[in-house]
Amino acid sequence: MSTDLSQFQDAFFEESSEHLTTIEDGLLQLEQRPDDLDLLNRIFRAAHSIKGNSGMFGFTAVGQFTHKMETLLDQLRNGKFSVTPEITDILLRSTDQLKILIEAARGGAAPDTDLLLQLERELAAAAEGGEAPGNTSSTPSQTSPAATAVASSTPGLHRFRITWAAPAWLFQRGLDPVRMIGELEDLGTIISRTLDTSRFPAFESLDPESCYLTWTLELETPKEQAVVEGVFDFVRDGGELTIEASGPAISPVVTDDSEPKPLGEILVESGVVSRETLDKALSQQKRLGEILVEQHAATPQQISQALQKQGEAAAQPKKTGDAASIRVDTGKIDKLINLVGELVITQSMLSSLGTRFDMSQLPVLVERVAQLERNTREIQERVMGIRMLPIGSTFSRFPRLVRDLSGKAGKKIQLLLSGEETELDKTVIESIGDPLTHLVRNSADHGLEPPEERLAAGKPELGTIRMNAFHEGGSICITVEDDGRGLNRDKILAKAIKQGLIAEGEKLSDDQINGLIFRPGFSTADKITDVSGRGVGMDVVKKNIEALGGTVSIKTALGKGTTFTLKLPLTLAIIEGMTVRVGRESYIIPLVSILESIQPTASSVKTITGKGEVVEVRGSYHPIVRLSEAFSIEADCQDPTKAILVMLETEQERVAVMVDELLGQQQVVIKSLEKNFRKVEGIAGATILGDGTVSFILDVRGLIELSRHGMSVAA
Amino acid sequence: MGKTVLIVDDSSTMRQMVAYTLKGAGYEIVEAGNGKEAVSKLNGGAKPALVVTDLNMPEMDGITLIQEIRKMPAFKFTPILMLTTESADDKKKAGQAAGATGWIVKPFNPEQMLKVVQKVLPT
Repeated sequence: MSTDLSQFQDAFFEESSEHLTTIEDGLLQLEQRPDDLDLLNRIFRAAHSIKGNSGMFGFTAVGQFTHKMETLLDQLRNGKFSVTPEITDILLRSTDQLKILIEAARGGAAPDTDLLLQLERELAAAAEGGEAPGNTSSTPSQTSPAATAVASSTPGLHRFRITWAAPAWLFQRGLDPVRMIGELEDLGTIISRTLDTSRFPAFESLDPESCYLTWTLELETPKEQAVVEGVFDFVRDGGELTIEASGPAISPVVTDDSEPKPLGEILVESGVVSRETLDKALSQQKRLGEILVEQHAATPQQISQALQKQGEAAAQPKKTGDAASIRVDTGKIDKLINLVGELVITQSMLSSLGTRFDMSQLPVLVERVAQLERNTREIQERVMGIRMLPIGSTFSRFPRLVRDLSGKAGKKIQLLLSGEETELDKTVIESIGDPLTHLVRNSADHGLEPPEERLAAGKPELGTIRMNAFHEGGSICITVEDDGRGLNRDKILAKAIKQGLIAEGEKLSDDQINGLIFRPGFSTADKITDVSGRGVGMDVVKKNIEALGGTVSIKTALGKGTTFTLKLPLTLAIIEGMTVRVGRESYIIPLVSILESIQPTASSVKTITGKGEVVEVRGSYHPIVRLSEAFSIEADCQDPTKAILVMLETEQERVAVMVDELLGQQQVVIKSLEKNFRKVEGIAGATILGDGTVSFILDVRGLIELSRHGMSVAA
Repeated sequence: MGKTVLIVDDSSTMRQMVAYTLKGAGYEIVEAGNGKEAVSKLNGGAKPALVVTDLNMPEMDGITLIQEIRKMPAFKFTPILMLTTESADDKKKAGQAAGATGWIVKPFNPEQMLKVVQKVLPT
């Protein structure tokens, strides 16, 4: 039988990263709710799972370190002492280190052992804060050789006399004496056996579920006593057991620890040097860098640079094997399996039809083939859907980042997240983490003012950064919004002129001025801080987003705040869409944008000079866009009261789109139009419908723009 | 058909490993992610010859699960092995008091695990 468990390593890493997120998120929440026992338990369990699992793969460093964290967490959850900011801080830093340790186990850079030891000390100290803990099992076991089990090298047979009065609860714990005696038989030969039933009570008081038996056995075996005792491992705490050697005596053989001891330890043990001498000698040991400097082989600067490099390498998680696996919601897989089941049914129906086919069955055949088509398409869509992940996994790193940033910058910041469930392609998810981090850092450092400045401006002391994700047409929009000071037009202009990015007296629109902050090397921060302001970042953000085929836009109001919007295309995205018909064409409207569909009365449709047609819905007026006019096609209905108006909304703006008919709702796979043709205003992409025809997906934002300009797309 | 073993652990990696090891030895596997799930699987008709359970789990922990199982007439005498970490000696005691048959100490290798399983499960 193959017994290699290393094939589960990927699963371990996958699961561990989830646990790490649980721990980190949990700790952050714990700061807000230090008394939440459920939360503490959850964090504890996550740490405990990492510890238990890491041992299975021999990642002892991970196990040992997690054990330290676990010890502290255990005392917290047992109420030995309460959660303080200092403790969460230690735990958070330990979580970071644990991440690095796990990466190291995966083949990443080696962790910083000094930092690890330092943290282990801090963890231990914190754990002692409540109650002096017993010696944790982390110290290498100091079992004296004599006490350990004896080596099995002794030749010959041993004879043991075993007397065992079974505990009464034997059966109640699912134990079987027959099985146990069988196990003894496996070890050797049972020469004699006696069953003593004298412990049986009177019949009236006999409990049929209790055990009253006592065995006396004589066993001849090549095995050692410890092995024989092992048979009774699970019944140690009840009944009576004596095992006596009745055969040849055993000479105890000293076993050695499997791992070779360091030289110093051996010298101390053999009495050559004392422990103090050893420690002293060890403390004189120099590190490689120091030796090289002393020998003038390298300058201290070179060494510190190299060390820094090493540190950076350690801090950067190695990205190997990232693409190796993907974690998929089991619901998605269940659906897929259902679909495959349907496919099999369709296939068997087809083949049974094929065996006895005549022309009269043609309609049945056509129907079955159509069904097969449908099955295949659905499966295709679902499989693509597997690559789609909620953005929450990316968002989840930001609470921690903001916490650290607010500490560093001395500002009070709260982070609000929404739209975590928005799904997007795995590749996009992996690529937007860094740009988003830049934006959040930027907001925390440049955007939000220090508390005193905020109070002076009549704002709440607590600054807010809001992150949101949502689908819009064929794109996903991710916004990073702060309620800080906003971009300062004049300051940006002055700086840009100074840096020679633009000429003095050049006329620029607001958008152009805002765009300047994306120019390489641009920074308006008065002083360079640890967090940002070094003029690298925003240009990189723009470059990265554009590399993904997306755009970055800025909305800002001086003194009110700034919003960065990342708009990313979703070539693989699947959206819920409403299919609508105009004349002979059909279009898809993203379901999220649809508010309602109405058939207006004649009195509610009005024409306003210069603004075109509007419709009144519950007291407010919205522009009407006739799709037939926008796309220059023939519609069946020219009269809005005969047609259907679909009310769409995006970014708080509304528009009524006039169509002939609603055909139904379905999931559609978005295909990029830009990639294959060019960008068309009002259209976000295309998709292939159930009947094989191509249908355009409407871009709600674009339609609103269209309604504003009141012109048709010159296709 | 081999005997069925119910594996209860909140860590899917651990479940996978235990399942893999036992399947290799010819056992049928039923999995549950916590004690509650295990109880409902038992009530729902699962008939394991052995239960292997973790102790630290959300919803319902291992100790409670063991107590619950012992209350069910059908599983009164079913062997239950708990998965524990070495340092948790008090946990072993608590588990046994609740009615556990024995334990498997983490980390274990497949051979060790099978040995313990065969110890309590007649072949």
